[in-house]
Amino acid sequence: MNIVGITACTAGIAHTYIAKEKLLNAAKKLGHEAKVETQGTIGVEDELTAEDLKKADVVIIAADIGIAGRDRFKGLKVVDISIHTLVKSPEAVLKKIAEKIGG
Amino acid sequence: MLISKNLISLELCADTKRDAIEQLAKLAEREGKISAYTDYVQDVFKRESEYTTGVGGGIAIPHAKSQAVKEAMIVFGRFRNKIEWNSADDKPVNMVFLLGVPSENIDNLHLKIISQLARSLVNEDFVQFLQNAQSKDEIFNYLSGLQVS
Repeated sequence: MNIVGITACTAGIAHTYIAKEKLLNAAKKLGHEAKVETQGTIGVEDELTAEDLKKADVVIIAADIGIAGRDRFKGLKVVDISIHTLVKSPEAVLKKIAEKIGG
Repeated sequence: MLISKNLISLELCADTKRDAIEQLAKLAEREGKISAYTDYVQDVFKRESEYTTGVGGGIAIPHAKSQAVKEAMIVFGRFRNKIEWNSADDKPVNMVFLLGVPSENIDNLHLKIISQLARSLVNEDFVQFLQNAQSKDEIFNYLSGLQVS
């Protein structure tokens, strides 16, 4: 699967980045490609480009707050989860998503 | 200074999550990082009640963006005992990074360093390093290194 994601936690200083790291590690372990944009207090980093979205099979939004730029994902498969779920079991999340979209 | 040797303490003891957080917050207060201890601790617990800051590997990162924080800070405490923290991996915690950033005028460099620290906590080698470090100096040197990378 080619995964793109956005992470955004409430305080925006720590979990946002831990969730990103966990998602990237889990994706690598399971043999998927992944790119994750963070929306933290510092702002947006590793912004998803049009190119990234063209290649994406699924968009994972792990957020506890509203995220910016949701309209970019029109027409794409979007999965919304909480940051906590992603941090707790990143591999289980990816396996479930892969099952659902057949990737 | 985001990190200083006076904000690192090894060989601590705490019975509960609250005790651990309060001890580290007292360190921060002593170093002049927070203007209102009670408000800061309250903000940390408010954040903690949303979902756990026990991220796995024996590490917790309680934190708050708070008006009571004068200057962004990273306080590190390693505890001799294990503390129940309702962690993501269901294991108890013995290493705690208490973080704080002011609610306004936050220095982006501080945010960057904190985010780098957060990302390294997912790395098992780094967690092992923290667990085995023999002195405050070792940990301080590593953390200060985050500022230049």
